[in-house]
Amino acid sequence: MARLDLDLLGKSFGDTTAVAGVSLNVGDGELVSLLGPSGSGKSTVLRMIGGFERPSSGRVLIDGVDVTHVPPERRPTGMVFQSHALWSHMTVFGNVSFGLRLRRVPREEIAKRVEATLELVGLAGYGERLPNQLSGGQQQRVALARSLVLEPKILLLDEPFASLDQHLRERLRDEVRDIQKRLGITALFVTHGQDEALALADRIVVMRDGRIEQVGQPGDIYAAPRTAFVAGFIGAMNMLEGAITDGRILAGGLHLAAAGSGPAHLAIRPEDIEITDSGEDGHVTVRRMIDFGSHVVIDSSLADGSHLRLQTTKGVRVGEGERLGVRVRHYMVFAEALRDPIRYRGAGVDMLPNMELNYA
Amino acid sequence: MSLLSISPPTPSLLTRLLRRTGGADWFGLLAFIFLASTIILPLVVVGIWAFAEVWRYPAVLPQRFGLGFWGEMLARRDVWAALTTSLELSFTVTALSMLICLPAAYAFGRMEFPFRNTLFLSFLTLRAFPKFGLLIVIATIFLNLGLVGTFAGVVLIQLVDTLMYMVWIPAAAFQSVDRRLEEAAQDAGATPLQVFWHVTLPQSLPTIAAAVILTFVGTFYETEGAWLIGAPTVTTMPILMISFINNQLVIQYGAVLSLMLWVPSFVALMFARRVLGGDAIARGLGG
Amino acid sequence: MHEAASPLSRTPAVSARSRVLPLLLVATPVLLALWLVIWPAAEAVILTFLVPGEGGTEVWSTANYARFFGDSYSVNNFTNTLWTTAVTTTILLVIGLPLAIYLRFAKGQLPATVQSLVMFPMFVPSIIVAYAFIRTLGPNGTVDIFLHAVGLPRMRTPYLTPWGPVIGLVWDGLPLTVLLLLSGLGNVTRPAVDAARDVGAGWLAILVYIILPRMRSSLLVTLSFNVLGIFSSFTLPYLLGPAAPEMMGPFMQRTFGDLQDVGMARTQAVITFAVCLLFGALYVWSIAKGRTKSAAGGKS
Repeated sequence: MARLDLDLLGKSFGDTTAVAGVSLNVGDGELVSLLGPSGSGKSTVLRMIGGFERPSSGRVLIDGVDVTHVPPERRPTGMVFQSHALWSHMTVFGNVSFGLRLRRVPREEIAKRVEATLELVGLAGYGERLPNQLSGGQQQRVALARSLVLEPKILLLDEPFASLDQHLRERLRDEVRDIQKRLGITALFVTHGQDEALALADRIVVMRDGRIEQVGQPGDIYAAPRTAFVAGFIGAMNMLEGAITDGRILAGGLHLAAAGSGPAHLAIRPEDIEITDSGEDGHVTVRRMIDFGSHVVIDSSLADGSHLRLQTTKGVRVGEGERLGVRVRHYMVFAEALRDPIRYRGAGVDMLPNMELNYA
Repeated sequence: MSLLSISPPTPSLLTRLLRRTGGADWFGLLAFIFLASTIILPLVVVGIWAFAEVWRYPAVLPQRFGLGFWGEMLARRDVWAALTTSLELSFTVTALSMLICLPAAYAFGRMEFPFRNTLFLSFLTLRAFPKFGLLIVIATIFLNLGLVGTFAGVVLIQLVDTLMYMVWIPAAAFQSVDRRLEEAAQDAGATPLQVFWHVTLPQSLPTIAAAVILTFVGTFYETEGAWLIGAPTVTTMPILMISFINNQLVIQYGAVLSLMLWVPSFVALMFARRVLGGDAIARGLGG
Repeated sequence: MHEAASPLSRTPAVSARSRVLPLLLVATPVLLALWLVIWPAAEAVILTFLVPGEGGTEVWSTANYARFFGDSYSVNNFTNTLWTTAVTTTILLVIGLPLAIYLRFAKGQLPATVQSLVMFPMFVPSIIVAYAFIRTLGPNGTVDIFLHAVGLPRMRTPYLTPWGPVIGLVWDGLPLTVLLLLSGLGNVTRPAVDAARDVGAGWLAILVYIILPRMRSSLLVTLSFNVLGIFSSFTLPYLLGPAAPEMMGPFMQRTFGDLQDVGMARTQAVITFAVCLLFGALYVWSIAKGRTKSAAGGKS
């Protein structure tokens, strides 16, 4: 149905640059998530696509048509706002039908379409209620219906679940995902929660300081972050500062094979660390054991005092102060000389089979 | 928002404004030009008149500038008498208003008692009547009480005028003091009076000070009540101004008087507004 | 005795004191308002319906009002006041609403400057406004000087015409009008407006369907406040308006002060009460409603 292309899109407010030349292609029916910390420019990108901010540079194309200078009321986009932004003086029906009434759609058709859309979002029969008589989750569904009823080419969601509690958020995001797939609508979704992005998106765009750090499928981004920032931002990660000399990185008392030279970060996922044995000559000292039921996380300290998190299978029991021997299955090395380029990646067992730890 | 930044539009200011908005804010620019010419220009004219010794129509600027009329004004007995009366009135009314309103404001802000909300809203009736009509009916009562033409009568009528500001704004200030701050002080061993003196009062002081300034300046410029009740014995500054305007003896007198009175009050009001913010003032009026 | 009493027996005494003390604290201003607002107003209403009858008694009658409305001069003054109030309020809303909307949603240096300009008249006493008006728009004023400088004839000055008070009152009333409207616009969030644009609403649709419905109570307050203020204004009409027809303010003052006709002045005052009653009630009602609502919401 609709393709979206961003071509070197940029936005600055006075002297500060909010978005610096973002290019992105979103395919028909794809759900892409813009993920990043606050201030990364992700909301500004979305607002530029919706037409609410005028880009300082670059273009927005929908189905190949340049809409950069088209005002929001004439763009084929529908936006769901963070604060849901329902018009509290109108009923649910009034909110959802507003856009259709502006377009002078015949009454019967309005009634039919609003009803169908409310049913789609699970609010059939709620038309006569006022927004403040609804729960937070229901209000957000109304906001979604209000956008969907106009059959936009692109659906834009700006942290739509930010004000909801954890439980509701998870349920609603699954529903949004279902609806989006059912309608086959192209959608962009802004969030600062990595869980939300991983659970929802076909592709994730990680943003930082107005730039794209990495674009990829959730699994790829998790498994192969391109920068130290992405590595630290998505999923749990042990980040140890260190330096590379003579083909090895020394960080937090760990000594591992690495290419290059100079200061670097050693990045290891907690689940990529395996406990080999327990005993006085172990590599790490247990500080605390956290039993999550499905798995166990061990917070330990290395020889130089820095922390190392390990994740292991359920049922494992260790005591505080116990020393453990460990083995690292995968690790990554990010050198600091350039702006977060990869210098080295331990691609797992093939390249570095069961790397033993060596003390410096 | 700094009111001090206001100055006649100079090219540099204009270009700066244009650059900031990318040249697209035509409404703002239009509003700026309209307001600058209708609001600032007349006041600039007053300022020029105050320093014009000779300005004959139709010259664009005065023929001669000078401070001559300032000397003349300062030598006039009626000016000094009116100034003294106005200051006496303003101090008396403000002090009385503080004395009776601040305890009431504290009660409204911090205490629970029957009819609290009703009594609080009753001050609105002060504003629900057209003021001048009310002054007339009060004046008819004062006539019987022999208060017309007396200092006390003017004080009373101006005092009524201050009630709403001096109850509502400080009440909001007392109410907004965080209870936890007071509880922490109590926890540290302070008696209720010490809590009030060391925590509640300092926390709400800026707002209260602003309300007091508003009251003082408002009273100083109060014209209608003083005119109706005070005339002809009590002559305040605004009333003297009215007679200058009406008699039109020397144009510059009005200008000099305006400037003399306005500059100090402007500074005081600026301070009050900085503390209160427009929103608080709007709320004080029930916006 | 009391010191020896047990804590239990002391409790009611303390709570009784804590109920009486606040009432004592608020008593003076409340009583003052009763004495100088409620009582005079109520008394005036009653007195205007009483006229001296036979043998020194007083009888109920509408004679005072018949006299007022039978006198064409009084009626002219009355309609002139209505006209001034309507025109001034309309102009204030027409200028104030776009300004308030602009100030609510625009960001940057220019809106901040515009806001300072709008608020400026708040710091200028009306007496100085009147003087500045005369020097600018009066005969041989600044406007005439400019017109002369570019070779145009003098303008017809609004000074001492019904338009004089209108201009002065608009100047004087603009800051509070914009402030009150702005405080009402606080209910209209940026996302609510964005959402309307997103579904295709132009600026007129946004104004009519999104902004105005949410400002209903603040528009009422603004309207009432201005009507109350303008209808009984004195200084500006007195200094800038024509001698005849005059506005109710100067008219009442003259009746009371110069003609010493206390009864007639009282009747005129009650007539201004009656006209403003609706707006005064609207004003108190919308504020009281707003306060109850915010109290229910847990905020003050």
